[in-house]
Formats: sequence, structure tokens, C-alpha cells
Amino acid sequence: MRIGNFKETYAADEAVFTSPTSRFWVAVLFIALAAFPFFAGPYLLYMANHTGVAIIAAVGLNILTGSAGQISLGHAAFVGVGAYTAALLTTRLGLPFLICLPLSGLSAAFFGVIVGAPSMRMKGLYLCIATLAAQMIFEFIFIHWESLTGGIRGINVPAAEVFGFRLNTEFSFYFVTAPTVIIAVTAARNLFRTRVGRAFIAIRDRDISAEMMGINLFHYKLLAFGASSFYAGVAGCLNVYLLKIVTPEHFPLHESIRYLAMIIVGGLGSVLGAIYGAIFMTIIPEVLQSIMGLFQGLSPTIMSYLYPLQTVVFGLLIVIFLVFEPHGLAEMWRRLKNYFRLWPFEN
Amino acid sequence: MKKQFHWSWVGVLMASLLMAGAAAGADPIKVTAQQPITGRFAFAGKQIHQGLADSLAYVNEQGGVAGTQFEYIYEDTGYDLKRSVASFKKQMAKHSPPMNYGESTGEGKALAPEINERYHVLYGSTSFSEELADRGKNPYMFVSGPTYAQQFGILLKYIAAHPKQEGKKPTVAFFYSDTEFGRDPIPYAREIAKKLGVEVVAEEVTAVGAVDVTSQILDLKRNNPDYCIFQGYVVPPIPAVIRGAKDFGMDTTFMGSFWTMSKMLLDKLGADGEGYMGVNPYAYWYHTDVPMIQKIRDFNKRHHSDVTYRPNSYMQGWFTGMIFAKLAEKCHELGLPVSGENLKDAIPQIKDWDTGGFAGVVSFKSTNATAVGKVYSAKNGHFEPASDWIYLDE
Repeated sequence: MRIGNFKETYAADEAVFTSPTSRFWVAVLFIALAAFPFFAGPYLLYMANHTGVAIIAAVGLNILTGSAGQISLGHAAFVGVGAYTAALLTTRLGLPFLICLPLSGLSAAFFGVIVGAPSMRMKGLYLCIATLAAQMIFEFIFIHWESLTGGIRGINVPAAEVFGFRLNTEFSFYFVTAPTVIIAVTAARNLFRTRVGRAFIAIRDRDISAEMMGINLFHYKLLAFGASSFYAGVAGCLNVYLLKIVTPEHFPLHESIRYLAMIIVGGLGSVLGAIYGAIFMTIIPEVLQSIMGLFQGLSPTIMSYLYPLQTVVFGLLIVIFLVFEPHGLAEMWRRLKNYFRLWPFEN
Repeated sequence: MKKQFHWSWVGVLMASLLMAGAAAGADPIKVTAQQPITGRFAFAGKQIHQGLADSLAYVNEQGGVAGTQFEYIYEDTGYDLKRSVASFKKQMAKHSPPMNYGESTGEGKALAPEINERYHVLYGSTSFSEELADRGKNPYMFVSGPTYAQQFGILLKYIAAHPKQEGKKPTVAFFYSDTEFGRDPIPYAREIAKKLGVEVVAEEVTAVGAVDVTSQILDLKRNNPDYCIFQGYVVPPIPAVIRGAKDFGMDTTFMGSFWTMSKMLLDKLGADGEGYMGVNPYAYWYHTDVPMIQKIRDFNKRHHSDVTYRPNSYMQGWFTGMIFAKLAEKCHELGLPVSGENLKDAIPQIKDWDTGGFAGVVSFKSTNATAVGKVYSAKNGHFEPASDWIYLDE
């Protein structure tokens, strides 16, 4: 049992993981992540890869919406930009996966900055609609610029190759997704310990005060759009190599809304929240599906009632979480940790 | 008051499961399916699923394929690509079936490389997409009927043979949604129209489920085509277009392909539906003179006594079940085990297969699609045959 957490240096005070206990658990997490693919089958690995992609995208949106306070309804479009960039760079120029990955991010960031430009004059709901327009425009381009995007048929992409290894199974791809997620999350966590990250938070909390403190609003808002879209682009690139195809149908508006739901359910403004939200939104429908599946043998018609029920249950779960913990899953986790901090004694 | 839990029910359940297991015998042929039972495709998904389940149950009732029964294992996907791919992978790992049924064109496309390289499983689906019937590219995949492009081919062949004015080239307009579903057959349709001497005078494109179609109707009026073919819709905006055209006094004949040949659409159209035409690969529930329809009705009477109608999406599921059984039978005839590899090789060997009047006489010739359909015309809220089976690919 810990009785205190004393810090003797500024470095210790600024550390991300402040106590030996948290460092221990993080180590356990890393070991578990490394060991996971050796025990899991293709389905679990596919879900893990897929969740990884969602985490990167959600962490990205969280930078923009959760931390800098700029609501975006166009996140899926930026994932799409990244995805198409990766597909084009691979199929047209034959660039290797490891080069495509950052380039996809950069390309999405470039368009993110352009879409973010109206944020100089707009905020709140108005900006939200501007990003919605971006979503529509990109969707339109994905479908109609056929010579570039392949139109509705999309682009088929060969399996990624890294140092001569062909990543054509979920197992091998996991070894790309997991490190990318770790790097992305670490970078996001550290972003908020820098001037830039603090500027984002200042803008979110009160833009006028932030400006009076010498923060260039436009500059930082664009940076937030750029950073967020960079994450989206990277997620898009991974998504393409995971599915080995990209079509416009992969990035509809409701996908953008799903990303928003992830960060709201997880906890706005918290990196951990975005991770929990992404996991929740990806895994829970699968868990519900499996639970409902247990009843399949009972009667031939029972599933026609149970399957629609899972959508209702999923919706209810989201509402219940938000009602009982508006700060999201991250806050629940924090309270749980606090409870166990002095366990078995009362706090 | 709390309801008492009766352990006897569990006993009954266990006993019936055991009995079912014993009756099934050893090693059934597993058919896995990702079905869009919920989500925006649910209106058809539920019926397709039921059709496939019933079709396989019917084969089992008839003694299975050379004594081997089918086992149908399905999951709901909510018409979500990521979930359906996940579900496919889960089922492959758990059951390693020789046959699988997929929920959408999107799923088929996403899985195509892996099916060719890794899974080697026969793949039927809800899709009528051209790409999934391409034997060279996707040899494991088949389409349970003519592809959309082939459906257009059938309609255009009909149009070419039925000009409105003798001696004058018939004219046609394509009216489609701006989606994959809508655009899929259009390039082929333009080509075949040219070949058949049918002039394409207009192409109207709308968002899916568009409400305001005034400008498209005006454009149709300007070009006044003899026929207008819808593609990529389920119901809206078709009633609005047909009513609008009527208000303008146009005498264009409106036509549809598989999804727009439903009772649901005819019911919405009401009196305006009279004379609406289109192509359907299957016979309808009320064509009681068709031997296979009689069997389907009889099966439903025995197992789903409350059912009074089955739409054409149910027929699509049923026909897929028939193809699964036919291919398994072919493998058995050739003395080969029922594996994905052998089933795939059996597809081009299906020749002149009599489907009991249900889907014509089927041969998988140059594509993994049937390339046959019938043109129907609506009379008194029912679709009645306007042609015999029309075969492309001849």
C-alpha cells in the first residue's frame, strides 16, 4: 500500500506516469500488447487492428474537438483523404508502406489546414457546419474524380511490405498497428505538456482570454486542424492496408459522427478517454452480437427480435454512460483508480 | 409477481437440440452467413436470410445432398462493412466452411483478395455487382441471378424487340442514384444500348432517396424517352418521378431492375403502378403455376403458417440456397469432397440446369452470374410476365 507520492524534482512532477504503481501497470500493458497476437486468432486480431485504427482517429479528433474546442463533422473525410493518398501513392508511384504512412498523414493535414481556415471567422455551430461541408465535398470528390479515385469501385491495394515482410495477415499487420498506436498516443499525451497543447486548451476554455495572453488564435486553430487531420490520415492509411481496398463508402458522414461519439463517450479532452471511447464503440457491438448469438439455436425466429435489440441496447448503453458519467469513461476509470488507491481502506 | 423458472423447459430444449444433432448425422456441410438483419438494409436482409435458411432447410428435408445435411450458421452485421468483415473472419476461424454468404457488394470487394489467397471459400452474396461475377478476378464468387449490367442487358433486349413506333429506333433514359448501386451497370448499359440500336436520350442522376426530382422530370419531358430505367433505388424517388411524368402527360414506360421490382414499390405506386415494368431473375410468390414456387409455398405453409407473402428478396436467398445445393451436388457427382476449391471449379460446369421455372434454365457461361431474367409488367398490383426468359450470353 502506498501512503504518499512525494516528488523531489520538477522532472518527477511533470512525469506522465508519476508513481511506481502506474509504471508497473503500464509495463504490464505493454507486455500484454506484445503477447496478445501470439494467443489471439484472426478474428480477435482483426478487431484489434480495427480498434487500433479507430483509436488513432479518435485521439486525433480529440486534439481538435476535445482539447482545442473546435467541433468537426468532417473527420471521416480526412481519414478518407489519408486512405486515398496511401492507395494512390502505392498503386501509382509504388511507394513502400512506411513512406506512405507519414505522407498520408501530411496530405490529410494539408487539407485539414485548408478546411480549418474558416475557423478564423467562425466558431461553434457555424464552424461545425463548415466542416460538414468539407465532409460533403470530399465525399463528392471520392466518388466523382474517377480518373484519380477509381470512382465507386475504389482502389485495390496490395498487402503492405515492411523490410521485406509481407503484411498480408492480421497477425503480421498487428505489428504495424500496435506500434503506430503507441507512438500516436504518446505523441498526443505529450502534446498537452507543450506550449502548443496548452494553447489549444486555453482557446477551448476562453478564446478571448487566450488571445489576450498572446496566443495567436488563427495560428493555433490551424495547427489543431492540421494535427488532428494528420492523425486521421495515418488512420486512413492503416485502414486501407488493413482492408486492402478503399471505396467512397468507407467514409460517410455517420462515420464522422461515430468518431465524435467515441470522444464524447470516452471523455472529451482526455487522451485516455479517446482510447476508451474508440474501444467501446468498436468492441461493444461485437460483444452484444456474440451474446445475442448464444441464443441462435433456441428458436428459428428468435434472432429476428434479438438482433434489432442489440442496436437498442447499444444506444441505451451510450445514453446510460452519459447520464451517469457525463465526463465519460475516462472519468469512471479515474474514480475506479482512486477507489483502489488506498484499498482495502476507505478513501 | 415473479415468474417461476421452469427447468423442464431447459430439459425440452436440450432434448430437442440433441435430437436435431442426431438427425443431422455426421459432418454437415457448413454454410456461414453475414446477414444484414438490422441496419438500413434490414428490409431485405431479413427476407434474404429467411429465404436462404428455408432453402437449405428444404434441401435437408429432401434428404440433403447425397445424404449430407446443410448446417446454416449466420450472424447479423447491421450492414456495416467493418463488422461484416470481422464476422466473416470470426466464422472462418470457428467453422472453416466451404460456403459463405456475404452481406454486401462492399464486403465482397473487401474480402476478394483474401478469399482468393487465403480462405478459398465459395462466396455468394446479396450483391448483383458486375465485379463479383468476374470469374477471372474472383473465381470463388458468384451472383445469384443476372448482374445489374446483365439485367440492363435483358431490359434493353426487350426494348429493342418492342419499339413503341414500328420502324423507329426506341429511345431510353437511365435514371439512377449517385451510388455504387446506381452506377454499377451504367457504362455497360450505354454500350449494349448502342449495340442493340436503342438510343440513350437522357441520363438522370440523383442522390439516393432524393425528394425533389422536378428538374430531372423536366429533363425527361424534354427528351421524352420511350422507356426509362431506374437503377440504385428501393422506393423513393420512383413514385414521385412516375407521378410527375404522368402529370406532364408523358407516355414513357418506366422500368426497374431487381430491387425496384418489389411489391413494396407497387403498393406505394398504387394506381400509378399499372404498366410499370422491369426485370426480375425469379418468379413471384403468386405465380402458383411455377413448380418451384409451389414447393416454396408448401414449405412456408408447413413452417411459417402465418406467412401470406414472400418478397423477391426472399426468393434471392432461396435461389442462393439452390445454387449452394446444386454445386455441392456437382462435387458429389464428380466424386470430389465439398470444399471451396472444388465448389469454385464446379461453377462453370453448371449447364442447362432446370430451376423448376423459378429462374430460367441456368448455365454459368462466361461470368459467375446466370445472365437470365424475365421482364414483368404490373397489372392490378401484381407483376405478370411480359416476356419469356430472356437469355444474354448466347
